[in-house]
Amino acid sequence: MTSWRIPALIALLVLCAASRSGYLVSLLVVIGLQALPAIGLALIAGYTGQISLGHAAFYGLGAYGAALIGKWFGVPAWLDVILATSLVAVIAWAIGWLVFRLKGHYLAMATLAFGIIVQVGFVELHDVTGGPNGLTGIPPLALFGYTLNGDFVFLPAVWVVTIIAIVCAENLIASPTGLAMRAISENERVAGSVGNNVQSIKRLIMMVSGLCCALGGSLYAHYVGYLSPGPFDVGFSVKLLLMVAIGGFADVWGVLFGVIFITLLGELLKPLGAYDVVAYGVLLVVSVIYCPNGLLHGLSALLGRGLRIVNVGRAP
Amino acid sequence: MSDALQFLISGLVVGSIYGLIGVGFTCIYNVTGIVNFAQGDFAMVGAMSAIAIQSAGAPMWLAIILAILITCVVAVLIERSAVQPVRGDVMRGIIVTIGVGVVLQGVAAIIWGTDAQPLPAFSGEKLLHMFGATVMPQSLWVLGTAAVAMVALDLLFRRTYLGQMFRACAMNPFAARLVGMKVETMSLVGFVMSGALGAIAGIVVAPIALTQYDTGLQLGIKGFVACIVGGFGGPIGAALGGIVLGVLEAFSAGYVSSGYKNAIAFALLLGFLLFRPGGLLGEYERVRA
Repeated sequence: MTSWRIPALIALLVLCAASRSGYLVSLLVVIGLQALPAIGLALIAGYTGQISLGHAAFYGLGAYGAALIGKWFGVPAWLDVILATSLVAVIAWAIGWLVFRLKGHYLAMATLAFGIIVQVGFVELHDVTGGPNGLTGIPPLALFGYTLNGDFVFLPAVWVVTIIAIVCAENLIASPTGLAMRAISENERVAGSVGNNVQSIKRLIMMVSGLCCALGGSLYAHYVGYLSPGPFDVGFSVKLLLMVAIGGFADVWGVLFGVIFITLLGELLKPLGAYDVVAYGVLLVVSVIYCPNGLLHGLSALLGRGLRIVNVGRAP
Repeated sequence: MSDALQFLISGLVVGSIYGLIGVGFTCIYNVTGIVNFAQGDFAMVGAMSAIAIQSAGAPMWLAIILAILITCVVAVLIERSAVQPVRGDVMRGIIVTIGVGVVLQGVAAIIWGTDAQPLPAFSGEKLLHMFGATVMPQSLWVLGTAAVAMVALDLLFRRTYLGQMFRACAMNPFAARLVGMKVETMSLVGFVMSGALGAIAGIVVAPIALTQYDTGLQLGIKGFVACIVGGFGGPIGAALGGIVLGVLEAFSAGYVSSGYKNAIAFALLLGFLLFRPGGLLGEYERVRA
């Protein structure tokens, strides 16, 4: 893959951190945390063509899992992140085993149902999750005796994980399994007929996808230190799907752009008040209809067409 | 015992609303192959416009007719602007209709505010007592409207020329086009019917349940569950599925906990999807991965 992108990304991050702007850095942390589930969703929805409307649940399970494992067993924060992530990966595999009997709208609805059931669980299991009041007092991450407290120290930690996830995702896509994934998204029967075990690949990708989400979620739990069911609702699943759609579905770097775009757009639209939801929805509809390969591709195609018109206009 | 009867009645009432929304889903799905995630928002638009027109001083019947017309116009606009370009593409269809739902909710919040609003009952608030259970007169309106709508739709689909064209387009759009039917027009008709059904459901339940800008999503998802449980076929299946879902919800809210009501509804959905994806009345092959 293109090798300049990761150094460029790191340079951009360093530049932003060097600006000493607390606002910018906290935005970057949020982007890094949401990039993980978005990339996870891109693997299953973009590359493998299996829609999911329940990925917020994996994110939430990762967050609550890390917080609860830390609370119950008193393990250090980095260990509960790993434990929660592995546990959710197993859950994601099992969910894949259940839902991949279905396709299309039925799959969308089954994953949506899973998301809503988990969300109801977060709200109703008062004794475990604290219900609507949430869980408080989650300790910050600590590595090598150094507490990652505050945006400026958390930023490198999050982005190291995110960049590793990006590299792993790219490797996975370039691997034979990645070819099989894309074949499944094109045509399941053909993919199966040349000897791919379609169901087992789907389950595997679902597991990787859930793992990415849970990793993001458990880091999020240690970052904010407080969990309530709100951020893990269907709205977040839709937002993740929007990020993937804006990024052009099967494109890891495009999805990263989608995450950045949606996060910045959310900040920019805040002054619009009630109109921001409308703008958000219109953007979603327009970009999915007119830019099937993502907003970047759509815009560059539009730009290319504009340039051509200008050039043609100049020609004698 | 009277508790159980009470739960059964409220389940039937809620269930018929789910059924009406569910039929709206099938009207669109059968012709366009798209599941309209903004279906519940049709009910919201219908109810909110009826409330607005009625509170502006218009008589109730006029408010209801105008509200249904408004919703149909909204449905037509959606079909032409958003659904037509992505026909047949499942994932983009889902995302686009979710986006349309978001837009409708946002616009509703701007026009009508975010407060929940009531519609006066059609025929007074005086409670009726039957066999030890208490029934709101509006509940009878809901049951009656749903029954009439379902039977009328069933007859429309099976007995009229329009219904035959509709079913032909659903079974095989290509062949329907070959024999001269305009599939695009039928898709528009599907959206108009679906908008009208959604509006009727929203309006008739508005006096019982308060309506606000975001009630649509829940209703829409429940309507889809009704479709799945009943089988993605016609009005009778959706009505049956809606009633099963509504009654189950009412009993679980009554005997278990109202917080878990939604989880139980969706567990039912998962159960049906996984073990009997064709629903109670439907066929199995179309949904298998």
